[in-house]
This record gives sequence, structure tokens and C-alpha cells, in this order.
Amino acid sequence: MVFVFCFTVKHSILATRCSVRGKVLSNIFQYRTGSSRVTNNVTDNLTDWETLSKKKKISKAMKAYLERAKEHDEFMKKQHFEFNVGKRHLANMMGEDPETFTQKDIDRAIEYLFPSGIYDPAARPLMRSPEEVYPARKAAEFDEAGRPHHFLFYTGKASFFKVLYDAAENIQELQKFEDKVIRKKASPDPNNSLKLEGSVWFTKEQLEKTLVETIEDIEYTNFKNVMERLVSLPYSYRCKDFIEQFRKPLTTQRFALEIPKPNYDEDGRAFITTYECLRKKARGDVTIKSPGTGNISINGKDITYFEDIQSREQVIFPLIFTGMQDRVDVVCNIEGGGPSGQAGAIRWGIAWSLRSFVEKDMLEKMQVAGLLTRDHRRRERKKPGQPGARKKPTWKKR
Amino acid sequence: MLTRNWRILSRQYSQAVTFRTNESSPQQHNEKQTGLFYTLNQDTCKSLFSNGGFPKSFLKQTKTFTETAIMIRQPALDLINCIKSTNFDAPVIRYVLYGEKGSGKSLTMAHMIHYAHEDGYLILHVPWVSEWLRRVPRHKEMSNSQTHEGFVDLPLDAAAWLIHFKTQNQALLKAGELKVSEEYVWSKREKTEVGAPLSELVEHGITRVKYACDVIYALVREIKTLSNKKQCKTFVAVDGFNSFFYPLTRLNTPTKRKVKPEEVTLTTTFLELTKNDWTNGVILLSADQLAVPDDHQESYFPRYLLRKKGFEHLDPFVPIEVGRYTEKEFLSCASYYRDRLWLRGPPETEIELKFTSASNPYKFMEQCAPL
Amino acid sequence: MNSGNWFLIKSLCDLSFRQCRGWRIPPRRLYANATSFPDYFKNPIFRKEQQGKLIESGELSKLAAVPVKPPATYETCSVYHDPLVNKVINHVMEMGKKQLARSLVEKSFENIKRTQIERYHLAPTPEEKNKIELNPKIILHKAVENCKPLLQLSPIKRGGITYQVPGPITEKRSLFLAIKWLLDATNDKDRTVHFPEQFAWELLDAANNTGKVVKRKQDLHRQCEANRAYAHYRWQ
Repeated sequence: MVFVFCFTVKHSILATRCSVRGKVLSNIFQYRTGSSRVTNNVTDNLTDWETLSKKKKISKAMKAYLERAKEHDEFMKKQHFEFNVGKRHLANMMGEDPETFTQKDIDRAIEYLFPSGIYDPAARPLMRSPEEVYPARKAAEFDEAGRPHHFLFYTGKASFFKVLYDAAENIQELQKFEDKVIRKKASPDPNNSLKLEGSVWFTKEQLEKTLVETIEDIEYTNFKNVMERLVSLPYSYRCKDFIEQFRKPLTTQRFALEIPKPNYDEDGRAFITTYECLRKKARGDVTIKSPGTGNISINGKDITYFEDIQSREQVIFPLIFTGMQDRVDVVCNIEGGGPSGQAGAIRWGIAWSLRSFVEKDMLEKMQVAGLLTRDHRRRERKKPGQPGARKKPTWKKR
Repeated sequence: MLTRNWRILSRQYSQAVTFRTNESSPQQHNEKQTGLFYTLNQDTCKSLFSNGGFPKSFLKQTKTFTETAIMIRQPALDLINCIKSTNFDAPVIRYVLYGEKGSGKSLTMAHMIHYAHEDGYLILHVPWVSEWLRRVPRHKEMSNSQTHEGFVDLPLDAAAWLIHFKTQNQALLKAGELKVSEEYVWSKREKTEVGAPLSELVEHGITRVKYACDVIYALVREIKTLSNKKQCKTFVAVDGFNSFFYPLTRLNTPTKRKVKPEEVTLTTTFLELTKNDWTNGVILLSADQLAVPDDHQESYFPRYLLRKKGFEHLDPFVPIEVGRYTEKEFLSCASYYRDRLWLRGPPETEIELKFTSASNPYKFMEQCAPL
Repeated sequence: MNSGNWFLIKSLCDLSFRQCRGWRIPPRRLYANATSFPDYFKNPIFRKEQQGKLIESGELSKLAAVPVKPPATYETCSVYHDPLVNKVINHVMEMGKKQLARSLVEKSFENIKRTQIERYHLAPTPEEKNKIELNPKIILHKAVENCKPLLQLSPIKRGGITYQVPGPITEKRSLFLAIKWLLDATNDKDRTVHFPEQFAWELLDAANNTGKVVKRKQDLHRQCEANRAYAHYRWQ
């Protein structure tokens, strides 16, 4: 039987809920911050001086664990201290008030003092509180007698399997409820059904982060299957809180926020300019002028700037979709990329600008048509040892 | 589910738009009939255009539509008015048609030839200059000119053109009033005397292909003198005139040297013809981007296409722009295509086609093809 | 300021700086660029009829709350955009030359139209005139319908012998086979006849249930019928 000790300590600055009573205990509890799992059973055993005097045998594994916990605690305390001191120094250097120096100010200061040309944000210099920098560790999972607190401790991934266990319990409960309702000859109320369109399940990484445990791919697919099954039941709204815990809301309705108001130029016509119209390597900007006759001007030329029909169709697509082809004028400047990329950029630019001139339901229709989504796909690089991005050399069995 | 705007537009487009006119004589065409189609008689078509004059795509369309119909457009009407009000005692006026690719220059020219034919002009029509200078099959029949030193002859092309000239001017030539004023000696045994009818000269050129280019030169000189003497009024039409001024042709001498247009006898002939040193005639030319290779097709303006030499040669001239379809013309064309079963589908297609083809006549026809 | 005080500069940063030899910064991104949208993006619906259906069923606002992929570069909401025609153009395309493929398919449609208009004008009575189909897209639909096989033969090896066993076919594969056979028939032709004309002839033949492609489909069906005895091998 393999003992899996989790020699990890989760840091939280919450005060420990357990009370320190005995002298012996004080040694242990000092180095175990945030171990809220300690129950009163432990302390009950060691209250009176008789039992205290008996030398309690602590197993070697337990000893090693306690030492490491103590080390980690000390280390974190030191890091905290240094972080705070460093923060005050930094504030001093930047000429700001040390009391009101927020994390954002720290970030700005570091960017200023250590300018980095590295593309990946995770590789640039950063200064953060130790909790964010060092990975989280679990609280003590067993008491000093070696008895684990969690009933699923011996699975190795207690919190994960607890989640699955809860889900299974919920499923059974919901099925019993459904049976009851059917016996009463009622049916589910459609208004109460769960609305899950605006969110997705946590990714594997996010799940690992919340549970502070490593998860295999198979286990993750299992988890998703169980949750889908839970959601598919007709009375799943009863377990709404449990399900919401593991759903991440998507950035939605961005297109409906911040619709810009049109400016007015010298002739009194309303116009809107969208800058940064991108598609592949094409960059440009699009201006739509409101009381117009359907003139389209691209880089000073007519729509004949594009010689192939497909690009022209793409440019007029949003205009015809909204029915505004005779009511607005379009002026765009585009450079870079090829005909297809430029046409795509102009299409997005026109659709984005038209938001200000169009009603709300048409806005929803444009969103469903996908006209308002920025196309951020770029060309995939060719990898070494392969002829192309995905193409591989001929596969030889042997 | 159509919104209010869609409904209005569809109503606009589906109303029965009259696109035809019964007036088939170009002399009667006036401003009221812009944008309407008139049909040409089959026999007139054959006599005027059997050897060229219509673009190839248009010929295919005539076959599909089972009729030849040309749209009456503003540039043609302007030309007709100008011609009606010219003073024929003054030196000839040169008109240059210019416009984008596919905007209708050749068809306008065809319209004018029809008008000239009705009016009794003597027609000298070169359907497409690049045929001679740039369309070179594997082996092009070329010979060194005998009358002009160092010049190149195109005997078969010249003979073909003479046939074309004959069919176009059958009536006038048969009437036999046009006589040759000089004597031309072709060889020891062949010569054309003074006073012979023009048709004989033309026949000689067709039968004796070797002398065809010189025959054309002689013909041109004769026609100039006849016009000056007021015995006939001449209408000269050359399509793709700027091809004469492009530095190179695709012709090669047997020594593999590229031939310049100035070294071809036909060029000199037609440059002679288009000089404004004669009266009682009308010259209609067109400067087309398609007449020159793709590298030099940046702009469609005459100053760029005719180059320095051509511009100086033709200066002064009257430029006439042939533009894209207006709204009315576009609608009329669309209803004509629907009538001829060339365009089918809901009325919204027209709105889209207007934008994608940018109202260019040729592009519109192309884009209606698969619909 | 002692550098020792600034301990919280991540060790990874040091590592990466050391990796760039001599502080040379890599010119590209360290991670791959996005080449496709994530799974939770839905497909766009931009045809007027389909949007009309959505509005009737009241689902438009629900879909508007979800991220949606943008429509492809060859898809428009215009009336003459047909997904089947786009598919055929893609199959005709080689080496990514979309413009050429599109012009070939459009020219073949033009040829179909011209032949049909000729026949229309030659037809003596109005009933016959009505029977002639003038829209090339409808002819394409009919031709593809007539060429779609209903079964396919799959090679299954039992006891050393490979049997051709008839089995069901999915809708997608059936469509793919129909288009592939049409293009195969078009491509083995004599050199003088160009692709658009040959394709036009093939489509007209197939729409009439005659011609090489329909024959190939019928041969396949006959083979399947003949091999009916082996059908049980699928489950052995």
C-alpha cells in the first residue's frame, strides 16, 4: 500500500481557526498556517498534562512533512517581508507615495525600469506578491496522527474525485425528483431551464488551478461527460450553483457595447471612422458617411480597385445585408496583404462602422451572420523537418 | 422577409421598363431614346459587319439572343449631332473615342457605321488594328514591300480588308460613279487606267494579293481626291488606332528582327488617311487599352495611349468619352437581358450586380453569364 | 539599489535572457499564431431565408449572445450564392487558384445556358419550351442528384480473400463521389475541347440521366446488387 503524502502547503493569510492550547501543539501549529482542516478531535486528545507528558510517537513521514511545512512557511514569510520592503523601495524610487502604491503601479514601474523586447508576457520581468508567483500548495490533509481528513484522500486526487462524487449524487437526486414529479403527473417548467450558451466548461488548466491537483486528459474528459450528463437532465436548474462553479462565462455582447456616436464633418454629414481594420497582413481604415448614394472609394479608386468578383462581393456584403447600399458612402484606405485579405479587412470595417447607423435587431442579425467578428487567424509557420505547416514527409511504416 | 427599402427597390426594378425602340434607322435616333435598344436588320448586319466590326463576345450574344440589338447611348447621339452640323468644306474633323475596357467603344463605332451607311457615306472601316500587328499565328504571311524600300507588307490581311471594304460599300461601288483619276502600273501586263471604276481597283487587289497593300495605298489617295472633289462623302472608322503608335509589333522578319509599326505599309496608308488635309468626310478613331500589351495599360486616356507621335499626328481632335452605364441605361440593359432569358433570378440580383460590375457594360454581361 | 533586493524578477526571465545569446531578441512570437477559431465558436448564418427562420422561432437573440465565426471569403448573403456551387468550385480548384476555378465553372454555366437557350428557341410548342430548364444552377443540382450513389463497396478481408462488400454511404461521401466522378469524366477528354465546354456537356447529360457519370453510378449499383451475398461480412 503506497502512502501518498501530499507535502504541499496552501498559503492563505486567513488566520487559523484552530485554537492553540498546548505547548507541544504550539510547535506544530505555528508552521501550519491556514490548516483549517484540523478538527477538534486532535486537540481533545492532547489537552491534559498526562497525555502531554507521554511522548507521542510521531512517524518519520509525519516528521519530514512537518519539517518541510515549517521550511515553506518560513520561506513564504521571508518572501512576503521582502516583497513589502521592495515595494516601498520601488515607490520611493519612482517618487510615489509608498502607502498607496498599488500592484498596477508596480507593473508600470517595472516596465519602465526593465524594458523588455520579449513577445511573451509570461517571460518578461515581473514583481508580484508571493502567492501569485509561487504555485499554490494544499493544506495539511491529515492530522498529526496520520489520519487523513478527506474521505477520498487515498484516491490521491481528493478534490477532483469529490467533484465527481458530488455530480453523481446530484444526478441521482435529480432522477428521484423527476420520478416524484412524474408520479404527480406534472412537467418541468421551461422558464427555469439553465442558460448555458454564454459560458463554457473550465479548461483542464483552469480546473487544475481551482482544485490544486494535476489531472489527466482521460480524467478531464470524464469530468466533462459527467457534467454534460448532469446538465442534460430536465431538472438541472436545481443544481445551478454546483454547475456554475465550473462554467466560465465567455466575452459576449462586445459588439453591442460602446457603439460610437457619429461625428459631423464640414458638410454636415454624419461619418464614422473605424481604424485598425485587420485581416491577415492587410491594415487599413474605413469611413462611412451617412446621407450618401452608394459610392465606394478604395485608396482613391472605385470598387474597380479589386479586379476579381469575389473581393468586390465581399466588400458589398455588409451593405447589402443591412440594405444600406444606397444610403451610405464608403471611403477606405488599405495597404498590405493581398486582394482577399484586403477585402476581408474592408468588410469587417464596414460592418463595424455600420453599427452606428443601424437598428438594434439588425445589429443582432449582423452578429449572428458573423460580420462583426474580427478574424484574428494568421498564417501558420512552417516547421523544420516538414515541408509545410502541417504536411509531413511520406510516412514509412518501417 | 423584406424590409421597406427592399420592397421599394424591388418594385423599381420589376416594373416593366421599356427597353426597346422600334426606330431602326440611326438617323432618326434622338435624345428621347437614350438607353433603349434598337434591332439591326439581318442583311445590314451581314453586309456591314460580316468581316469584323463587332467584338467576338458580342457576336456570341447575337447568336444566343437570335437578334442584333445595340443600345442608343449619349456618346453616339453626340456624334450624330456633330456630324449633322459639320461644315463639309472645312478639313475633316477627327473624333477619338476613349474609355475604360469594356465601356462600349466598339459598339458605338458600329452604331456610327450603321448611321453612315444609311446616310450614304463611303465607309472605310478597320475593325481592329491589332489583328494585323499583334495577332501573329505561327507563320505570318509577310513579304518585303516592292514599292517602298525596307517596308513590310501584309498581303493576306490587305486582301481580307479589301473584301471587307467591298461588302460594306457594295451599293456605292456598283453604282459605278467613282472613277480612278490616275493611272497605276502594277507590272508589265497589269495596269489600271484613268477613269476605271473604283470597284475594278478593288477587284484587282483582291485577285492579285501580291499588290494588295499598294492597291490600298492607291485607293486611299483616290478616295481623298474624290472627297475633295465632292463626288462622295467618306466616313473613316478605325478601332484600336493607338496600336499604330506602340513601339513594337509582334511581327518578325525572316531575320528574327522585330518590326516596328512605322515599317509596315498599312500603317503609312492609314496615317495618310487620317491626316486632316482633305475635306468632305468624317474620321472616327478609338484609343483602346486592349490594343496594347498588358504592361502599358495603366490609363485609358488618349494622351497616354496615343503616345507623343500619335498625339501630334492627330492634334487637333475631338475626344469623346464613352462611360459606364447610367442608372436608366443599366435598368434598361437588365430588362433586355431578362427578356432574352440571359438573366434570371429575383430582382435583388440587379442591385448586387450593379455594384460588383461597377456598371461597366462588359463586366455586367460577363457576370450575368452564369446566373 | 542592490540587485539582490529585486529578487522577484522571475528566474524564467533570467533563463530566457541567457537563452538569447548576447541579448538577441527572437524576431517572432514564441507561441504559435492562432490558425483557427476555438471550438465554442458557432457557424455563421447569413442567408436571408435561414435568418428568417431563426427570427420566427425566436432564437436569434440567443445566438447573438454566443461568439460566431466570420463567414468565409467566398460566402456572401447575395441571392446567387449557392453552397453546392462553392463546393464544386473548390473541387475544381488546384494549387489554390480560386479565381481560375471560379471562372472555369462560370464559363461552363454560360455554355449550359447558351445551349439551353438555343434549344428553347428551337422548341416548337410552348409546353416543350416550359420543359427546358434554363437555370444552370438547377441543372447542376439535378445532375449531382442523379449521380449520387446510394451504396458503396468496401473491401473486407476474410480468410485471405478480399471481398467487395456493399454497405451504406453517408450523405457527405455520396455528394463527394458525385462531384468527383463528374470532374473525372470531364478531365479525360481530348485536348482540343476545353474544360468549360466538356463540363457543360457532362452536366447536361447527367441532368438527363444519360452519359458517362450516370452509367458509372448504375454500374456501381449493379455491382452492389451482385455482391449482395457478401453483405453479412460487415458484421462478422
